[in-house]
Amino acid sequence: MNDILHTVVNAMLFKAQGPVLAYFFAINAWYLILLVSALLELRRHMLLITDESRHLLLSSTLSPTISILAPAYNEEATIETSLRALLALQYPNLEIIVISDGSKDRTVQVLIDRFSLVPVKTIYEQRIKTKPVRMLYRSSTYPALVVVDKENGGKADALNVGLSFARGELVCAMDADTLIEGDGLQRMVRPFLYATDVVATGGTIRVVNGSEVKHGRVLKARVPTHLLPGVQVVEYLRAFLFGRLGWNRLGGNIIISGAFGLFQRDAVVTAGGYLHDTVGEDMELVLRLKRLSYEKGGPGKIAFVPDPVAWTEVPESAAVLGRQRDRWHRGLADVLWRHRRMMFNPRYGVTGLFVYPYYAFVELLAPLIEVIGLVTLGLGLAFGMLDWKFAALFYLTAYGLGTAMTAFTLILEDLSFHRYATFRDRALLFWWALLENLGYRQMTVYWRLRGLWKFIRGRKEWGAMERKGFQAVPAASAGAGTA
Amino acid sequence: MIGDNIIRIVMLAEVGLLVFAVALFFLHGVWLNLTDRRLQRLSKAARDSVAVLISRGTINVEELAALAQQPDDVQVMAFLEISRNVSGTGKERLRFIAEKVGAIDRARKLCEHRRWTRRLRGARILSRLDVPDPLVRTLLADPHPAVRAQAAEWAAAQPSEEVISAMLALLADPATQARFAVQNALLRMGGVIAGPLAAFLETHTGRAAEAGLRVAESVAEPSFVAAALRFSAVEDDAGIRVAAARLLGAIAGEAAAARLTEMLKDPESRVRAAAAQSLGRMQHWQAGSLLFDCMRDSAWRVRKEAGLSLRALGAPGTLFLRRALRSDDRFAADMAQQVLDLPATAAG
Repeated sequence: MNDILHTVVNAMLFKAQGPVLAYFFAINAWYLILLVSALLELRRHMLLITDESRHLLLSSTLSPTISILAPAYNEEATIETSLRALLALQYPNLEIIVISDGSKDRTVQVLIDRFSLVPVKTIYEQRIKTKPVRMLYRSSTYPALVVVDKENGGKADALNVGLSFARGELVCAMDADTLIEGDGLQRMVRPFLYATDVVATGGTIRVVNGSEVKHGRVLKARVPTHLLPGVQVVEYLRAFLFGRLGWNRLGGNIIISGAFGLFQRDAVVTAGGYLHDTVGEDMELVLRLKRLSYEKGGPGKIAFVPDPVAWTEVPESAAVLGRQRDRWHRGLADVLWRHRRMMFNPRYGVTGLFVYPYYAFVELLAPLIEVIGLVTLGLGLAFGMLDWKFAALFYLTAYGLGTAMTAFTLILEDLSFHRYATFRDRALLFWWALLENLGYRQMTVYWRLRGLWKFIRGRKEWGAMERKGFQAVPAASAGAGTA
Repeated sequence: MIGDNIIRIVMLAEVGLLVFAVALFFLHGVWLNLTDRRLQRLSKAARDSVAVLISRGTINVEELAALAQQPDDVQVMAFLEISRNVSGTGKERLRFIAEKVGAIDRARKLCEHRRWTRRLRGARILSRLDVPDPLVRTLLADPHPAVRAQAAEWAAAQPSEEVISAMLALLADPATQARFAVQNALLRMGGVIAGPLAAFLETHTGRAAEAGLRVAESVAEPSFVAAALRFSAVEDDAGIRVAAARLLGAIAGEAAAARLTEMLKDPESRVRAAAAQSLGRMQHWQAGSLLFDCMRDSAWRVRKEAGLSLRALGAPGTLFLRRALRSDDRFAADMAQQVLDLPATAAG
């Protein structure tokens, strides 16, 4: 047995070292390209938006109408705050549709009581099959607010119901517990005003934990002092300012966060709406829209806009975070599997030749390759087949490069939006960036592998998420994490 | 085997990179902090100076000199901030002061810069101050679409014949016709664009015409009737026929009504729906029986628009809707029931 293991480790260490090193350098070279691309894109964007006058949008009859679709499931604790923040959004032609997806708590009753809802009838076309609607309400105090109470069918089903009721040319899909900044929609709608080939836009998601929140508005962004939410702040900054912005310039964006995205309603309805039987419904929809634009023509550009911001509460316990990451990775695997025809297919242009393979080989398989690397490294050292100096060098190089990339992302944030202004926040951000690779990253590798394993076994459950509610983030304890 | 030296070099390089990043991050923070404080102090002084200069009938030379001594960016910041809140005489005074301290000249120079970002900045300053400078008009033909769009924003307050003609050229330009700035600026110019826009619609087709029809719908001048009638018969482009139907509904009148009733038989469902909607918008009660027939249309959106238009006709329409309840077509009966069930204030 020991001999077999010895032979396997030997083969992996010495026969596979070429491809492994090539993979390592290719990925890091690509990250460097993305970083430069993100820097250039951010610079262009900042130049375009400096001193722009968005007030014209507020007073024009030509502003596109937007329907916000906010699915809610057992959101009794946060729904009022979130909805008040939505009603205060500065956008002229706005409709807000809250879809209670068979909530078992008092979500609907809270809405009825706090927003003076009355039952109404309306005419709508059900072009996408969904679970039945129990009741439709309209607010007698806020005419733009519609609440749909339907039977439970999942987030995708709730969004599809929202699509049927929406009257806007554009629909904004979001999570009911997301806080969109007041001028977020004015900023996010820009690409639709400039071009006809845009089918969807996405904004930046930031972590609200630890920040000062009042009446659904983030008054002061703070970096949490707890490890898990703290590291997630760094992760989110890297994902949006580095990844998506970098891909934006290269024309390869295929992800729009389910918590904050704007879509052409007709294109989404024509494409068949959100898929029910996947846990990665947001990415699936975007990739499907992109694919259809290649196959049938029509708008297919996915634009990431960095300045509109939505704030979200991230998990603070390892168990909940693990479920979330496991689900995200299952979603990614599922979406890539469904659209596997695009892989290296020149018919799908940049998406087929570069973006899809990147997501398959880097995003999807990275945890597998990382774990194989770590295990082999450990065994190689244990069997005395590996020079410990080489192992240390390799690990430190990988760790150092990762940390340096993150550090430059923090600099990008600082050069552009600098939401974290105090010395304390800067120090914390850097601290979390340093700590990310020491334990946290390895945990995410485990969760992602678990997700991959569950995907292979065909499991599609969401897993419960716990929300504490924004009101639980008191100004006095800001910085101490969500209370 | 890896030598100790290599490990030392790699470690040193990584530590160096990290120290560089940390230093950059924190030093940038310190620099930002200092700059912000300085800017806040200076811009408050500049804002106060501009406010005093605008509010007084006469120009205070000392105040003007104090403002002129402020850095260029601070002056511009103050002018742009205050420009949002003044109009008429206040704006004229603001322009006068900006001219006196040289801010407008500097903006003009920016407009001629070889880099598009500078030209954009120049056009932004001149358009926010509503400076009627022909130089900005030339930017309507700038190679960069963002600069053209910014110049279009400026054009909204300068509705001369040349400017309107240049703006309509932008409407015909595929790179800018979708731009909100161009369409919105034309709309803000008001009735003066009616003649040139009607002439534009005479000579253009395709997406340019569709963009023109969209603007025309908001202006809704009778002079657009001829163009709307012509475009309503364009066979190969349903999008244009939809835009034409909407324009006819906005203009109203006998000719529009006659054409819209014909369009209820269009092969494209979205055109039939737009025609039905426009007839309701015009409250053309004579179309009641035709709209009643549309309640049996195979397309859901046509049935819906027909039902809502019947509702908009008032009592005569309601009679038709009640008749549709007894229709042997269960889709028509169902839609009629849904429309009749709507609360009085609902838009459907």
